[in-house]
Amino acid sequence: MNLMSHLIAGFPDAETSIAIADALVKGGANILEIQLAFSDPSADGPAIQTASTIALEKGYSTKQGLAIVKQIHERHPETPIYIMTYGSLAFTPGVENFVKMCKDAGVSACIIPDLPFDGDEGLTEACKKHGLENIPVAAPSMTKERLETMASKGFKYIYAALRAGTTGSETTIDQATLDFIDTVGKGGAKVLGGFGIRNGEQSRVLSKHVYAVVAGSVFVNIVLSNADDAEGRKKAIAEIEAKAKEIAGN
Amino acid sequence: MINSNNGFFDKFGGKYVAEIIRRPLDDLEAAFNKYIHDPEFLEELRIIQRDYIGRETPLYYAPTATELLGGAQIYIKLEGLANTGAHKINNAIGQCLLAKKMGKTRIIAETGAGQHGLATAAACAKLGLECVVYMGEVDVRRQQPNVATMEMYGAKVVPVTSGSRTLKDAVNEAMRDWATNFKNTHYVLGSALGPAPFPDIVRTFQSIIGEEVKRQAAERNIDIAAIVACVGGGSNSIGVFTPFIEDKNVRLIGAEAGGIGPNVGENAARMTGNASREGIVQGYKSRFLIDEDGQSMPTRSISAGLDYMGIGPQLAALGESGRVEFTAILDKEALDAVKFFARNEGILFALESAHAGAAAMKIAKELPKDKGLVINMSGRGDKDIFITSPVFRPEKWKEFLKAELKRLENNEDIHDAEIMNK
Repeated sequence: MNLMSHLIAGFPDAETSIAIADALVKGGANILEIQLAFSDPSADGPAIQTASTIALEKGYSTKQGLAIVKQIHERHPETPIYIMTYGSLAFTPGVENFVKMCKDAGVSACIIPDLPFDGDEGLTEACKKHGLENIPVAAPSMTKERLETMASKGFKYIYAALRAGTTGSETTIDQATLDFIDTVGKGGAKVLGGFGIRNGEQSRVLSKHVYAVVAGSVFVNIVLSNADDAEGRKKAIAEIEAKAKEIAGN
Repeated sequence: MINSNNGFFDKFGGKYVAEIIRRPLDDLEAAFNKYIHDPEFLEELRIIQRDYIGRETPLYYAPTATELLGGAQIYIKLEGLANTGAHKINNAIGQCLLAKKMGKTRIIAETGAGQHGLATAAACAKLGLECVVYMGEVDVRRQQPNVATMEMYGAKVVPVTSGSRTLKDAVNEAMRDWATNFKNTHYVLGSALGPAPFPDIVRTFQSIIGEEVKRQAAERNIDIAAIVACVGGGSNSIGVFTPFIEDKNVRLIGAEAGGIGPNVGENAARMTGNASREGIVQGYKSRFLIDEDGQSMPTRSISAGLDYMGIGPQLAALGESGRVEFTAILDKEALDAVKFFARNEGILFALESAHAGAAAMKIAKELPKDKGLVINMSGRGDKDIFITSPVFRPEKWKEFLKAELKRLENNEDIHDAEIMNK
């Protein structure tokens, strides 16, 4: 099974976020989705917002966040890294400049949910130019027409957010969800499916229908629910590795 | 440039949102475009505006201010006389009525100072809709009178504890709620900003201010040379400016929060000074107080309603084209304006609106005496008593608060309290 798992660069600190990446890879993640913290992450749930605030308080915005990404890339050169962030962080320095910075840090793809595929400020083009992929995020509430347009645009990957809500709630894999996944992949894009994956049972069911299972806030929550001291962080890293193993089915 | 071009005002605006929020925005746009041309809807709205909001609001000639300032004739558009005390009700009623037509039963709103939350809570009480207001925890603490009033209207006020725990975080939280609950829920955004179609919707419902000014001026042969309005997100200013945008004889002036100075973190000035830049935040492209990475920066103003990092995209475009002039008013200039109009005209400006008053005081002399200078008083100042009293009468206010606290702690009726026996 392909597992794309998520962490926030600089949360809870630089060192621990690198250890989290190690634990995720060790647990079976073969794609890392690394989020650059943004002050106003409105497409994320409260857990990721809280974690982002902590990362920003410690100074891990774009440049410092990408320095962490680069270190992770050097430790795991075989594991593709997809950057997830918000339009503000790409647009403000200039979209192409941002993509170039990502490339220099060893990033393979960008996921920026608030730069829509039909108004992306040149993100897809800049990614193409520098050998990265732009991965749009599809949602079940999209009209069939809009979803089909997105699916037919020739994206190599599409991230399918499997619930009409934000990260952090339960996922059920019902027929409507399966139909949605089918439509997302209609144009040949490989589907990264997630939002709300909590356990191995859910990911096993889902993995039959998608290219990769995405698990995100489950790992952030493990860090948040452990104490913010050396012992708590150590415990969180061990739990993350175990959880990744469970979700990856290893 | 009145209506947006597919959501854009020149280069600003747009619908920069995750797909999870796209559908409710597109549905809202379709419904708005339908009902805004529906005579039945417009008639229902007109009657509510007349009987519930109390429109039209007066365009008051201010003789003493005119004489003291020594320039153009000062007129004050008294939006503060609208029910709930500010212009916010124009938009809240419009959107809640629209939501009801769309079959929505639940309303959510964000609020900073509480004025928009209060207006939405009142509109929901009047129209029989459930109301949830998201408000930053910091704002909940410092704006208790408005929280109490919202609860009186039956709204649920939810303190937002994420991020900086202020207005922008309340917007994020409302967006999250909407993404999950849009089937039965409408999000009443309070200013002429956010993703399309909100800037068009809010401007349309607020334009009644400018339409009335235009009619009142025509009826009384007032030759308007300039209109000033305060600009936070920009709903009252775009509302009063809109019918005059094409009339190049009328200067349009926006007064931003200059706070305590020109540096980063000292103000909320997006169109003047050097603290702001172009960006894409909270669903739209405009000018924002963000850093070189694109992270939002702290803002500061004595008036909570102007204390926001972004400005409506249409105003940003009108500012860049030069059609709307912007000026930054310091906290202390706004306080002086509150005092000036209270003493000389018996009119108590809200601190937000006092920024417009202060701007008018500066430019009145530049304008000929036979011309009119219209100040949009977007709200009245009763709500600011907890902010203005510590400035204007700190000792007496402290004594009052202490006595009130003591009385509450002793569970005494006001007639039996110690303060009555002094």
